[in-house]
Amino acid sequence: MKKEGSVPQPETEPGIATAEQGFVILDGPDGVAVTMTPEAASLTGHSLMSAARLAHEQASAGNR
Amino acid sequence: MFTQRFLKDKRGVNLAPSERAALENAISDVRQVPARTILLRAGQPVNASTLLVEGIMSRYIDDRNGLRQLVAVHVPGDFVDLHAFPLKVLEHDVATMTASTVAIIPHAALEDVLSEFPAMNRKLWFATLIDAAIHRAWLFRMGRLDAVGKVAHFLCETNARMVSAGLSDGRRFALDLTQADLAEICGLTTVHINRVLRQLRDEGLCVFRASVVELLDPERLSRRGQFDDGYLYNERAASAVSML
Repeated sequence: MKKEGSVPQPETEPGIATAEQGFVILDGPDGVAVTMTPEAASLTGHSLMSAARLAHEQASAGNR
Repeated sequence: MFTQRFLKDKRGVNLAPSERAALENAISDVRQVPARTILLRAGQPVNASTLLVEGIMSRYIDDRNGLRQLVAVHVPGDFVDLHAFPLKVLEHDVATMTASTVAIIPHAALEDVLSEFPAMNRKLWFATLIDAAIHRAWLFRMGRLDAVGKVAHFLCETNARMVSAGLSDGRRFALDLTQADLAEICGLTTVHINRVLRQLRDEGLCVFRASVVELLDPERLSRRGQFDDGYLYNERAASAVSML
Protein backbone atom coordinates (compact mmCIF):
# COMPACT_ATOMS: atom_id res chain seq x y z
CA MET A 1 0.00 0.00 0.00
CA LYS A 2 1.25 3.46 -0.79
CA LYS A 3 2.44 5.63 2.09
CA GLU A 4 -0.43 8.10 1.67
CA GLY A 5 -2.98 5.32 1.94
CA SER A 6 -5.54 4.20 -0.58
CA VAL A 7 -8.18 6.90 -0.32
CA PRO A 8 -8.89 7.94 -3.90
CA GLN A 9 -7.29 11.27 -4.75
CA PRO A 10 -8.22 13.75 -7.50
CA GLU A 11 -6.60 12.69 -10.74
CA THR A 12 -3.87 14.91 -12.15
CA GLU A 13 -3.58 12.93 -15.39
CA PRO A 14 -6.26 13.33 -18.07
CA GLY A 15 -8.30 10.48 -19.50
CA ILE A 16 -7.70 9.62 -23.14
CA ALA A 17 -10.69 9.66 -25.48
CA THR A 18 -10.62 7.80 -28.79
CA ALA A 19 -13.16 7.00 -31.50
CA GLU A 20 -13.91 3.34 -32.22
CA GLN A 21 -16.63 1.91 -34.48
CA GLY A 22 -18.76 5.07 -34.22
CA PHE A 23 -18.44 5.37 -30.45
CA VAL A 24 -16.19 7.29 -28.10
CA ILE A 25 -14.10 5.29 -25.64
CA LEU A 26 -12.74 7.06 -22.59
CA ASP A 27 -9.79 5.25 -21.01
CA GLY A 28 -8.64 6.51 -17.67
CA PRO A 29 -7.80 8.12 -15.49
CA ASP A 30 -7.55 5.47 -12.77
CA GLY A 31 -9.37 2.56 -14.34
CA VAL A 32 -12.19 4.56 -15.89
CA ALA A 33 -13.38 2.66 -18.96
CA VAL A 34 -16.49 4.11 -20.57
CA THR A 35 -17.99 3.84 -24.04
CA MET A 36 -20.33 6.63 -25.14
CA THR A 37 -22.33 7.57 -28.20
CA PRO A 38 -20.88 10.61 -29.99
CA GLU A 39 -23.79 12.69 -28.68
CA ALA A 40 -23.23 11.62 -25.07
CA ALA A 41 -19.50 12.20 -25.45
CA SER A 42 -20.05 15.75 -26.79
CA LEU A 43 -22.39 16.63 -23.95
CA THR A 44 -19.99 15.10 -21.42
CA GLY A 45 -17.14 17.09 -22.95
CA HIS A 46 -19.10 20.35 -22.68
CA SER A 47 -20.08 19.51 -19.11
CA LEU A 48 -16.46 18.75 -18.20
CA MET A 49 -15.24 22.04 -19.72
CA SER A 50 -17.91 23.98 -17.90
CA ALA A 51 -17.16 22.28 -14.57
CA ALA A 52 -13.41 22.77 -15.08
CA ARG A 53 -13.91 26.53 -15.59
CA LEU A 54 -15.97 26.73 -12.40
CA ALA A 55 -13.43 24.64 -10.46
CA HIS A 56 -10.63 27.01 -11.61
CA GLU A 57 -12.68 29.95 -10.30
CA GLN A 58 -13.28 28.18 -7.00
CA ALA A 59 -9.56 27.41 -6.65
CA SER A 60 -8.65 31.02 -7.46
CA ALA A 61 -11.17 32.37 -4.93
CA GLY A 62 -9.82 29.96 -2.31
CA ASN A 63 -6.27 31.24 -2.87
CA ARG A 64 -7.21 34.89 -2.37
CA MET B 1 -14.76 -40.09 -13.28
CA PHE B 2 -16.63 -36.79 -12.89
CA THR B 3 -14.78 -35.51 -9.82
CA GLN B 4 -11.25 -35.90 -11.19
CA ARG B 5 -10.65 -32.15 -11.58
CA PHE B 6 -11.96 -31.14 -8.13
CA LEU B 7 -9.05 -29.72 -6.08
CA LYS B 8 -6.65 -31.14 -8.64
CA ASP B 9 -3.07 -29.92 -8.32
CA LYS B 10 -3.82 -27.61 -5.40
CA ARG B 11 -1.08 -26.70 -2.97
CA GLY B 12 -1.69 -27.87 0.59
CA VAL B 13 -4.66 -30.12 -0.12
CA ASN B 14 -4.97 -33.50 -1.72
CA LEU B 15 -7.97 -35.80 -2.02
CA ALA B 16 -7.13 -39.39 -1.12
CA PRO B 17 -8.35 -41.91 -3.74
CA SER B 18 -10.89 -43.22 -1.21
CA GLU B 19 -12.21 -39.68 -0.60
CA ARG B 20 -12.51 -38.97 -4.32
CA ALA B 21 -14.27 -42.32 -4.82
CA ALA B 22 -16.72 -41.49 -2.02
CA LEU B 23 -17.45 -38.11 -3.60
CA GLU B 24 -17.92 -39.82 -6.96
CA ASN B 25 -20.34 -42.33 -5.43
CA ALA B 26 -22.32 -39.51 -3.86
CA ILE B 27 -23.28 -38.16 -7.30
CA SER B 28 -26.98 -38.73 -7.88
CA ASP B 29 -27.26 -37.31 -11.36
CA VAL B 30 -25.15 -36.03 -14.24
CA ARG B 31 -26.84 -33.51 -16.51
CA GLN B 32 -26.06 -31.92 -19.86
CA VAL B 33 -27.17 -28.31 -19.64
CA PRO B 34 -27.49 -26.03 -22.69
CA ALA B 35 -25.65 -22.71 -22.80
CA ARG B 36 -27.35 -19.70 -21.17
CA THR B 37 -29.46 -21.78 -18.81
CA ILE B 38 -30.21 -20.73 -15.24
CA LEU B 39 -29.56 -23.61 -12.83
CA LEU B 40 -30.13 -21.94 -9.49
CA ARG B 41 -31.96 -18.79 -8.56
CA ALA B 42 -31.26 -16.47 -5.67
CA GLY B 43 -33.46 -17.06 -2.66
CA GLN B 44 -34.56 -20.58 -3.59
CA PRO B 45 -33.78 -23.48 -1.24
CA VAL B 46 -30.74 -25.51 -2.27
CA ASN B 47 -30.51 -29.17 -1.25
CA ALA B 48 -27.75 -30.38 -3.55
CA SER B 49 -24.30 -29.25 -4.60
CA THR B 50 -23.38 -28.82 -8.26
CA LEU B 51 -19.97 -29.79 -9.58
CA LEU B 52 -19.06 -28.36 -12.98
CA VAL B 53 -17.61 -31.21 -15.05
CA GLU B 54 -17.38 -29.55 -18.48
CA GLY B 55 -18.10 -26.02 -19.67
CA ILE B 56 -18.10 -22.54 -18.21
CA MET B 57 -20.64 -21.23 -15.70
CA SER B 58 -21.22 -17.93 -13.94
CA ARG B 59 -22.70 -16.49 -10.81
CA TYR B 60 -24.48 -13.17 -11.19
CA ILE B 61 -26.75 -10.68 -9.47
CA ASP B 62 -29.52 -8.81 -11.30
CA ASP B 63 -30.09 -5.13 -10.69
CA ARG B 64 -33.60 -3.68 -10.33
CA ASN B 65 -33.87 -3.33 -14.12
CA GLY B 66 -32.95 -6.96 -14.68
CA LEU B 67 -29.44 -6.14 -15.90
CA ARG B 68 -27.01 -8.64 -14.51
CA GLN B 69 -23.63 -8.15 -12.89
CA LEU B 70 -21.39 -11.19 -13.14
CA VAL B 71 -19.65 -11.89 -9.84
CA ALA B 72 -17.87 -15.15 -10.64
CA VAL B 73 -16.92 -17.45 -13.48
CA HIS B 74 -16.47 -21.18 -12.95
CA VAL B 75 -14.31 -23.66 -14.82
CA PRO B 76 -14.43 -27.48 -14.85
CA GLY B 77 -13.60 -28.98 -11.47
CA ASP B 78 -15.34 -26.19 -9.52
CA PHE B 79 -18.31 -26.67 -7.23
CA VAL B 80 -20.46 -23.70 -8.29
CA ASP B 81 -22.51 -23.58 -5.11
CA LEU B 82 -20.59 -25.30 -2.33
CA HIS B 83 -21.26 -22.34 -0.03
CA ALA B 84 -24.95 -23.28 -0.20
CA PHE B 85 -24.13 -26.58 1.50
CA PRO B 86 -24.15 -24.86 4.91
CA LEU B 87 -26.18 -21.79 3.84
CA LYS B 88 -28.99 -23.76 2.08
CA VAL B 89 -29.79 -20.75 -0.08
CA LEU B 90 -27.88 -18.55 -2.52
CA GLU B 91 -27.96 -14.77 -2.72
CA HIS B 92 -27.19 -14.88 -6.45
CA ASP B 93 -28.17 -16.83 -9.54
CA VAL B 94 -26.04 -19.54 -11.15
CA ALA B 95 -26.17 -20.15 -14.91
CA THR B 96 -24.26 -21.83 -17.69
CA MET B 97 -22.34 -19.60 -20.11
CA THR B 98 -21.52 -22.47 -22.48
CA ALA B 99 -23.05 -25.92 -22.92
CA SER B 100 -22.04 -27.67 -19.72
CA THR B 101 -22.04 -30.98 -17.91
CA VAL B 102 -22.78 -30.88 -14.20
CA ALA B 103 -22.74 -33.56 -11.52
CA ILE B 104 -25.31 -33.26 -8.76
CA ILE B 105 -24.47 -34.32 -5.21
CA PRO B 106 -27.39 -34.18 -2.76
CA HIS B 107 -26.49 -32.47 0.50
CA ALA B 108 -27.58 -35.59 2.42
CA ALA B 109 -25.10 -37.69 0.44
CA LEU B 110 -22.39 -35.09 1.01
CA GLU B 111 -23.14 -35.24 4.77
CA ASP B 112 -22.58 -39.01 4.60
CA VAL B 113 -19.23 -38.53 2.86
CA LEU B 114 -18.15 -36.06 5.55
CA SER B 115 -19.22 -38.45 8.31
CA GLU B 116 -17.14 -41.22 6.80
CA PHE B 117 -14.19 -38.99 5.89
CA PRO B 118 -13.99 -36.14 8.44
CA ALA B 119 -10.83 -34.74 6.78
CA MET B 120 -13.04 -33.89 3.80
CA ASN B 121 -14.62 -31.08 5.84
CA ARG B 122 -11.36 -29.15 5.73
CA LYS B 123 -10.93 -29.92 2.02
CA LEU B 124 -14.37 -28.63 1.07
CA TRP B 125 -13.66 -25.58 3.22
CA PHE B 126 -10.40 -25.14 1.31
CA ALA B 127 -12.37 -25.14 -1.96
CA THR B 128 -14.69 -22.38 -0.75
CA LEU B 129 -11.70 -20.38 0.51
CA ILE B 130 -10.19 -20.49 -2.96
CA ASP B 131 -13.57 -19.28 -4.24
CA ALA B 132 -13.33 -16.38 -1.81
CA ALA B 133 -9.77 -15.59 -2.94
CA ILE B 134 -10.98 -15.52 -6.54
CA HIS B 135 -13.75 -13.12 -5.50
CA ARG B 136 -11.18 -10.81 -3.90
CA ALA B 137 -9.12 -10.90 -7.08
CA TRP B 138 -12.32 -10.10 -9.04
CA LEU B 139 -12.87 -7.01 -6.87
CA PHE B 140 -9.26 -5.92 -7.36
CA ARG B 141 -9.56 -6.41 -11.12
CA MET B 142 -12.78 -4.45 -11.40
CA GLY B 143 -11.76 -1.72 -8.98
CA ARG B 144 -8.12 -1.01 -9.74
CA LEU B 145 -7.23 -2.04 -13.29
CA ASP B 146 -7.69 -0.23 -16.57
CA ALA B 147 -9.48 -1.88 -19.50
CA VAL B 148 -6.44 -3.72 -20.87
CA GLY B 149 -5.41 -4.75 -17.36
CA LYS B 150 -8.85 -6.17 -16.60
CA VAL B 151 -8.85 -8.40 -19.67
CA ALA B 152 -5.20 -9.39 -19.18
CA HIS B 153 -5.87 -10.32 -15.54
CA PHE B 154 -8.96 -12.38 -16.38
CA LEU B 155 -7.22 -14.29 -19.17
CA CYS B 156 -4.17 -14.99 -16.97
CA GLU B 157 -6.39 -16.17 -14.12
CA THR B 158 -8.47 -18.39 -16.39
CA ASN B 159 -5.31 -19.85 -17.90
CA ALA B 160 -3.97 -20.66 -14.42
CA ARG B 161 -7.28 -22.25 -13.40
CA MET B 162 -7.38 -24.26 -16.64
CA VAL B 163 -3.81 -25.43 -16.01
CA SER B 164 -4.90 -26.69 -12.61
CA ALA B 165 -7.85 -28.49 -14.21
CA GLY B 166 -5.55 -30.02 -16.84
CA LEU B 167 -7.19 -28.01 -19.63
CA SER B 168 -4.34 -25.67 -20.54
CA ASP B 169 -0.73 -26.35 -21.40
CA GLY B 170 0.14 -23.06 -19.76
CA ARG B 171 -0.08 -21.01 -22.95
CA ARG B 172 -3.16 -22.18 -24.83
CA PHE B 173 -6.67 -23.17 -23.78
CA ALA B 174 -10.16 -23.46 -25.22
CA LEU B 175 -12.56 -20.76 -24.02
CA ASP B 176 -15.94 -20.92 -25.72
CA LEU B 177 -16.97 -17.42 -24.71
CA THR B 178 -17.97 -14.54 -26.95
CA GLN B 179 -16.56 -11.03 -26.88
CA ALA B 180 -19.89 -10.02 -25.30
CA ASP B 181 -19.24 -12.53 -22.48
CA LEU B 182 -15.75 -11.11 -21.94
CA ALA B 183 -17.25 -7.62 -21.95
CA GLU B 184 -19.71 -8.61 -19.25
CA ILE B 185 -17.04 -10.29 -17.16
CA CYS B 186 -14.76 -7.26 -17.33
CA GLY B 187 -17.46 -4.57 -17.09
CA LEU B 188 -16.65 -3.14 -20.52
CA THR B 189 -18.63 -2.66 -23.72
CA THR B 190 -18.15 -5.02 -26.66
CA VAL B 191 -16.66 -2.12 -28.63
CA HIS B 192 -14.10 -1.63 -25.87
CA ILE B 193 -13.36 -5.36 -25.58
CA ASN B 194 -12.83 -5.55 -29.30
CA ARG B 195 -10.23 -2.80 -29.11
CA VAL B 196 -8.55 -4.26 -26.02
CA LEU B 197 -8.21 -7.68 -27.70
CA ARG B 198 -6.74 -6.00 -30.76
CA GLN B 199 -4.30 -4.11 -28.54
CA LEU B 200 -3.26 -7.30 -26.72
CA ARG B 201 -2.70 -8.99 -30.08
CA ASP B 202 -0.80 -6.03 -31.58
CA GLU B 203 1.45 -5.87 -28.52
CA GLY B 204 2.25 -9.58 -28.88
CA LEU B 205 0.69 -10.48 -25.51
CA CYS B 206 -2.33 -12.64 -26.26
CA VAL B 207 -4.67 -13.76 -29.02
CA PHE B 208 -8.32 -14.74 -28.46
CA ARG B 209 -9.68 -16.18 -31.68
CA ALA B 210 -12.12 -18.96 -32.63
CA SER B 211 -12.78 -19.86 -28.97
CA VAL B 212 -9.09 -20.39 -28.24
CA VAL B 213 -6.94 -18.19 -26.01
CA GLU B 214 -3.23 -18.18 -26.75
CA LEU B 215 -0.90 -16.40 -24.38
CA LEU B 216 1.90 -15.23 -26.64
CA ASP B 217 3.92 -13.76 -23.81
CA PRO B 218 2.52 -15.00 -20.47
CA GLU B 219 5.01 -13.04 -18.35
CA ARG B 220 4.32 -9.69 -19.98
CA LEU B 221 0.58 -10.39 -19.99
CA SER B 222 0.72 -11.14 -16.25
CA ARG B 223 2.60 -7.90 -15.61
CA ARG B 224 0.08 -5.95 -17.72
CA GLY B 225 -2.78 -7.42 -15.67
CA GLN B 226 -0.91 -7.23 -12.33
CA PHE B 227 -1.63 -10.95 -12.03
CA ASP B 228 0.04 -13.21 -9.51
CA ASP B 229 -1.42 -16.71 -9.26
CA GLY B 230 -0.56 -17.18 -5.57
CA TYR B 231 -4.21 -16.82 -4.53
CA LEU B 232 -5.18 -19.87 -6.61
CA TYR B 233 -2.93 -22.19 -4.57
CA ASN B 234 -1.95 -24.10 -7.68
CA GLU B 235 0.67 -26.80 -7.18
CA ARG B 236 2.50 -25.58 -10.28
CA ALA B 237 2.59 -22.07 -11.68
CA ALA B 238 1.15 -21.75 -15.19
CA SER B 239 4.45 -20.28 -16.34
CA ALA B 240 6.32 -23.38 -15.11
CA VAL B 241 3.89 -25.68 -16.94
CA SER B 242 4.29 -23.78 -20.20
CA MET B 243 8.04 -24.38 -20.15
CA LEU B 244 7.75 -28.17 -19.74
